[in-house]
Amino acid sequence: MTTVPAQSTRRLNTAKAMVEAIAAEMENDENVFVLGEDVGAYGGIFSSTTGLLDRFGPDRVMDTPISETGFIGAAIGAATEGMRPIVELMFVDFFGVCMDQIYNHMAKIHFESGGNVKVPMVLMTAVGGGYSDGAQHSQCLWGTFAHLPGMKVVVPSNPADAAGLMTAAIRDDNPVVFMFHKGVMGLSWMAKNPRSIGPVPVGEHVVEIGKAATPRPGSDVTVVTLSLSVHHALDVAEELAGEGVDVEVIDLRSIVPLDTEAILESVRRTGHLVIVDEDYQSFGLSGEIAARIAESDPTILKAPITRVAVPDVSIPYARSLEYAALPTPARIKAAILEQVSR
Amino acid sequence: MTDVLFPVISADDPDSEGTLATWFADDGATVAEGDLLAEVAVDKVDMEIVAAVPGTLAHAVEEGAVVVQGAVIGTIS
Repeated sequence: MTTVPAQSTRRLNTAKAMVEAIAAEMENDENVFVLGEDVGAYGGIFSSTTGLLDRFGPDRVMDTPISETGFIGAAIGAATEGMRPIVELMFVDFFGVCMDQIYNHMAKIHFESGGNVKVPMVLMTAVGGGYSDGAQHSQCLWGTFAHLPGMKVVVPSNPADAAGLMTAAIRDDNPVVFMFHKGVMGLSWMAKNPRSIGPVPVGEHVVEIGKAATPRPGSDVTVVTLSLSVHHALDVAEELAGEGVDVEVIDLRSIVPLDTEAILESVRRTGHLVIVDEDYQSFGLSGEIAARIAESDPTILKAPITRVAVPDVSIPYARSLEYAALPTPARIKAAILEQVSR
Repeated sequence: MTDVLFPVISADDPDSEGTLATWFADDGATVAEGDLLAEVAVDKVDMEIVAAVPGTLAHAVEEGAVVVQGAVIGTIS
């Protein structure tokens, strides 16, 4: 279930990698179909479904009305009847209008049926800020979904992982929430980090859900992060390598299941931990990671942990204020330097 | 040698400019016919550029460059 080495690749951005993974599974399995707002003719407002309508037609790529409860409920019904829908919630921020379908139905039907009914579906949704889209279009909220049992939650940072996790999510018999940060899609009209474009294996390519990656090994400090913050952490790590600080970066890739062992293994070696999370700081992922270390063996830490997250405020619209709230490279660098000085 | 051209996206305004948003194929890369070379953008309309012929790609403009529609952005030899 892991990437096959020496496989031929081609360079794609994350959006195109997702589309190719979806298209390949649609070719493989007639039960796979896509529905959501603007997923058809428009191709997804963040290009997550571009070209699929032309390839597969309106019976398998369905534009829906602005009715999240209705179309997510329709996807859940289709999944319980054996289909494998991929339903897009345009912005995760809109979960408020459809959460009953998501957490009382999608996430609980398998449990409440005593395991007799499966819900094999993907709920994919755009997350994240950084482009002045305001407090209702800039949140990450993965901690909210991870908190509620019954859903897997995956959060890729790069094209190859996005493709491999999408394939795994479609094939999974459980509901999987696939959260893609707009800033990792490699779109021409948004600021793009070169890490949003990269080699993607041709042919069979699956990334196992629940396995973290270590895109940069290091010995002085562990940075545990995910999604767009992986790009920032790697940029900072490269900068600090020139200043004599050897940073290890862990890309969680999935938060349900969370690869606790990968975190513990790294912190055992470095003794120093910085958690970078674009979600709200309190009661979320960063606290959960700290708790798992405390439950396992808090003596592996040589110093108290440092969190770089969104302080407990809504995401501001004004660019200067937004960047004061987001986990920017400058904040990550300062946190690492403070951590290794302890 | 085959020129790779910036496509005409806006026929109403032939002098309008666009951006070479992303080079997916590196300068000097060996490409096959149909391979994705680049993505270009005019306003918010994106278009993919694929290789018309196989060969070795040479970039004529840098990623992020603003160019006129129809301009040569690279060659395949």
